[in-house]
Amino acid sequence: MKTLIVIPAFNEEQNLRNLLPILNAEVSHDVVVVNDASTDATAEVVKAHGLVCLTLPIQLGAWGATQTGIRYAVKKDYDQVITMDADGQHLPHEVAALIQQRQTTDANVIIGTFPSRLSRLKKLAWKYFKLLTHIKIEDLTSGFRLYDKSAIQVLSSRQASMLDYQDVGVLLILLGAGLKINEVPVKMLDRNDGKSRVFSSWMVVLKYMIQTTTLCIANMGTRPTK
Amino acid sequence: MYRKHGNQTNKMTNITILIIGAILSISILYLVRKGKMHGPYATWWLLVAVSAIVLSIFPNIVDWVAAQVGITYPPTLLLVLAISMILIRMLTMDMALTRKERKIRRLTQKMAILEAALDQTKDRH
Repeated sequence: MKTLIVIPAFNEEQNLRNLLPILNAEVSHDVVVVNDASTDATAEVVKAHGLVCLTLPIQLGAWGATQTGIRYAVKKDYDQVITMDADGQHLPHEVAALIQQRQTTDANVIIGTFPSRLSRLKKLAWKYFKLLTHIKIEDLTSGFRLYDKSAIQVLSSRQASMLDYQDVGVLLILLGAGLKINEVPVKMLDRNDGKSRVFSSWMVVLKYMIQTTTLCIANMGTRPTK
Repeated sequence: MYRKHGNQTNKMTNITILIIGAILSISILYLVRKGKMHGPYATWWLLVAVSAIVLSIFPNIVDWVAAQVGITYPPTLLLVLAISMILIRMLTMDMALTRKERKIRRLTQKMAILEAALDQTKDRH
């Protein structure tokens, strides 16, 4: 079972300096960092740790970067991909929890969730999207996920390239392809940098809400819900 | 009814539209010649220019069509059609942009993957 860990990173030099040594020490899987057109020394840090770094010449955002890693996994014939954030909120030793859950269930996708991290505002947003889509998943935006081979195939498709965010749209495509999604509770740290990509400013939140709502409505009735 | 206001004004309008159509066609052909506009876009704009020319020479076409579909004030027909065409054109433009965006994203991803592979083979030698 070949496993690849994909870490999208935009200007994460400092966080990667902390994360990569722990990752190398605790996890034996291959790791690839997708450098989303960073302006700092992200690529150098990754290479200094002896890991593969895919540098995007144009910034594609979190999902575009993650998909790059997934396409890399398809090309190199990996059996499963684990995505985690570079900011240190996902703990390397929890990778084992995702893999174990994958082995004990027949799910194609395992999402590592940490419900207590959600603020009241986020919970409200999730409730709204769950209402729209009937997705029965606790934590919609968790970037700590395991995708098996069939999920990788689906997510490397051209259709998945048009998504702008990593959360609801990705889940809708997976469910639409008839794949099973399962959750496992994991421990997460608070963000070292304190910034969420999606929930950073009101304008960004508004844009995110409107775009995702459109996506949900456009996808109504196209898939089984779980 | 509106024609009673004088044939002089109408003729002037027609000549203006004819000139606009002519300038538009010449501009399009020039842009195609210089390689600044290609295939389907050029066809669309030439079509617009040709319809302007045809309508300026035979303005009665609008009146006739309006009468056939039961519109009492023919210019309405012209405006509604023009705005619809613009909207359709804008929609297809956004569709084309989406296609372009998809291609750019996938190319960017492929380039990053190939570059990493290139670096690895370089290190090995």
